Amino acid sequence: MPKDRIDSKLFQAHVPNGRRWLLWLLYKVFWRTVFGLVIGLRYVRNAKPHPDGPIIYIANHNSHLDAMSLMTIVPSHRIHLTHSVAAQDFFGTSGFRKWSMQNLVNAVLISRTKDGRDVDPIELLDAMLNEGHSLILFPEGTRGVPGLMADFKRGVGHLASRNPGVPVVPVYLDGLYRNLPKGRTMIVPFGGTLVMGDALHFEGESINEITEITQKAIEKMAYELERENQLPRSKNASR
Amino acid sequence: MNKLIQDWGMIAEIQWVIFIILSILVFSSTAWFIWNRLKPGNLPKELQVRTRSWWVMCACFIVTTVAHPLVTHLGLAFLSFALLREMYPLLKLDSRERNVVMICYAVIPVQYTLAYLGMTTLFLAFIPVFMFVLIPFMLVTRGETEGIVRSISLMPYSLVAWVYGMSHLALLFQLPEIPGFKAGPQGLLLYLIFLVGINDVLQFAWGKTLGQHAVLPRVSPNKTWEGLIGGVLSTTLIAVALRFLTPLEPWQAALTGFCVAVAGFMGDAIASGIKRDIGIKNSGNAIPGHGGYLDRLDGFSAAAAPFFHLIYFFGVTAAS
Repeated sequence: MPKDRIDSKLFQAHVPNGRRWLLWLLYKVFWRTVFGLVIGLRYVRNAKPHPDGPIIYIANHNSHLDAMSLMTIVPSHRIHLTHSVAAQDFFGTSGFRKWSMQNLVNAVLISRTKDGRDVDPIELLDAMLNEGHSLILFPEGTRGVPGLMADFKRGVGHLASRNPGVPVVPVYLDGLYRNLPKGRTMIVPFGGTLVMGDALHFEGESINEITEITQKAIEKMAYELERENQLPRSKNASR
Repeated sequence: MNKLIQDWGMIAEIQWVIFIILSILVFSSTAWFIWNRLKPGNLPKELQVRTRSWWVMCACFIVTTVAHPLVTHLGLAFLSFALLREMYPLLKLDSRERNVVMICYAVIPVQYTLAYLGMTTLFLAFIPVFMFVLIPFMLVTRGETEGIVRSISLMPYSLVAWVYGMSHLALLFQLPEIPGFKAGPQGLLLYLIFLVGINDVLQFAWGKTLGQHAVLPRVSPNKTWEGLIGGVLSTTLIAVALRFLTPLEPWQAALTGFCVAVAGFMGDAIASGIKRDIGIKNSGNAIPGHGGYLDRLDGFSAAAAPFFHLIYFFGVTAAS
């Protein structure tokens, strides 16, 4: 499908003002409070300022809370322009789910399978980035096994290689799956950590290279977080 | 200004202790500033970060203490919750134990409501009698017995140590009227906060300057005999000096200060042991320079219940 046929209505580029306020209240006030006081999510951010303009956020995916926590780190003035990319086959099944994903999560639903779709998801997301929107991607494609990271799909590589000016911000989410595991509905506070890494900029790398670099970046953050709080080995402390 | 504070209803003794706390903070911040100017780069960064965190902690403690008792109860309940929430992820619980964890969290509002309503008998029995049976039973009902001894011991322990212990501070608001005692429960609360805080700082300071012989080298290499003895003695003296916040005689205040310092040290050591078994240094990163809530509050929650009973015995039982 040619790019010019993907019109703004398709992904609702003009977010109504009401939804903008709703999203701000939901994420910068409500969810920020829930994550800070109830769940006890610890935010670790890099010292550099948050890049402005369209951004691709990528993170590992284990829980429905992942998208919520990522929305809380988006700057207020861009919250209505930031869309989580969610699976049509999971979230588009009922009218209520679809409505709440669009209005309460500001998500864009894409089809994970090739058959029966009228628009290529990459074209759609690419058009959104061109319009100045940010995207939240979970390149693993599914919530998978708790605590383990699966190999990344190539979507992020496609998008970043087509938009060389757009920074890719890797985010590592640790422990959120304990608060709301797959298949459960009750959130039990268990804490967790959100590590926001330095923005990655790509100029002319191939799709596979970008996919590999982003996956390495998140794996490195995971490794460093695990190392951070380990007991130092000393002669007094040996067990 | 003074008139304004009195209209607002703040008691003179409480104004005094707040003044003392702020002076100590201003003094140490100024000292680090001057040290940095004289010998740049010589000052351990940790001291500055710790002092900055003390500012925030003291501000939170003072505001929640002098505010309405309901705010104080909510603040203490939040501290209990933060302690449990920090500990449970570290215990590597089975995902089917989530429901029991939820019950443990639900105990907190019940316990503090009992304290707020003044239902003292039920308050004292709720966790050690009823929850002590209910929580192991709930763990058994999930049908899996492998590794159950661990959960059966740790979950009730966490409730007794960090909810039951801490909630005794809320029970200070239920003390009967003591003749000639004006500072009230808020004064007592600030007294304990001050003692436990200064005990930690002094044990740290004595240990850093004179420390040679470790008390528990295999558990917590940083705790030394010099730090412990110096800290306990100085805390005892400070407890006598700050006696105007309590209904106690000098020797009673000295005994209370001694017990608070020793209980604080014991709570600290127990938490160190638990953390060492899990294999972590700090229980979290909520407070910069100090670690998590547990790293800061372990001594506080261990000293709370003994402090309440000492005050009750000296102020109410022995006085009548």
